[in-house]
Amino acid sequence: MPASRSMRLVESALRCYPQRWRSRHGDEAAEIAILLIRDGTPARSIAWSYLMGAARARLVTGPRRRLGAAAGALLLAAGSLGAPLALLSSPAPANAASVAHSRAARPRPADPEPAHPRPVDPRRTGPRPGRGRGAPDRCGRHDRC
Amino acid sequence: MAAPERDGTGGQDVLRRAGDASVLILTSLADGAKHGYALIQDIKGFAGLQLGPGTLYGALDRLERMGLIEALPAEDRRQPYRITAAGVVALRAHLDSIERVSSVGRLRLGLGGI
Repeated sequence: MPASRSMRLVESALRCYPQRWRSRHGDEAAEIAILLIRDGTPARSIAWSYLMGAARARLVTGPRRRLGAAAGALLLAAGSLGAPLALLSSPAPANAASVAHSRAARPRPADPEPAHPRPVDPRRTGPRPGRGRGAPDRCGRHDRC
Repeated sequence: MAAPERDGTGGQDVLRRAGDASVLILTSLADGAKHGYALIQDIKGFAGLQLGPGTLYGALDRLERMGLIEALPAEDRRQPYRITAAGVVALRAHLDSIERVSSVGRLRLGLGGI
């Protein structure tokens, strides 16, 4: 992988850290990445390590912001790393995957209306051997059970 | 807190739950201050494993919050760290704990005590 691409990948991961962390460690972290890449460490593993570190750093920012920050970090990570990785991969499989995904997500007009919104668990609907006579045979969610 | 009672150190082994990276960093800093890249290289030399940089910074932040290491004035872009007195006590307690477990394990394996 060319050095510029490697560093772009690492910098994308570093951008996932909180601003306070980046202002303190950002320059040194980028320099360490350069040195590790020079030593032969794959840029992907460095970026992944920073990405996980960023998620952890956002989880310890404070109890009120933990959930929101974690969700934000994951979204940011997906956005930051998704674009460079998509650039690195060949376009054909990516296009095929996106077409297949969009087709699967959109219901066809000829499809009948789904009979049940959730798959029925056979353990709940079938007879239950071994249960007592007085035990209720209802799932508790549907009137017809 | 059951762990301090089990280890018999009166709760001094604060590194028990701090993770391996923290112990490796404190061990590396025991012979002098180092910055991030020097820590990675030193740990690779004596432990045979390369800490990921994200893991390294996470452990450095945690150890600093615990008061076991402190940051020295930055040299250029590099931030050196050194172990504090509390860090020395914590590392010694943890190494004592590991040594006790190691002795029992070797004894039970028939390898003899250290």
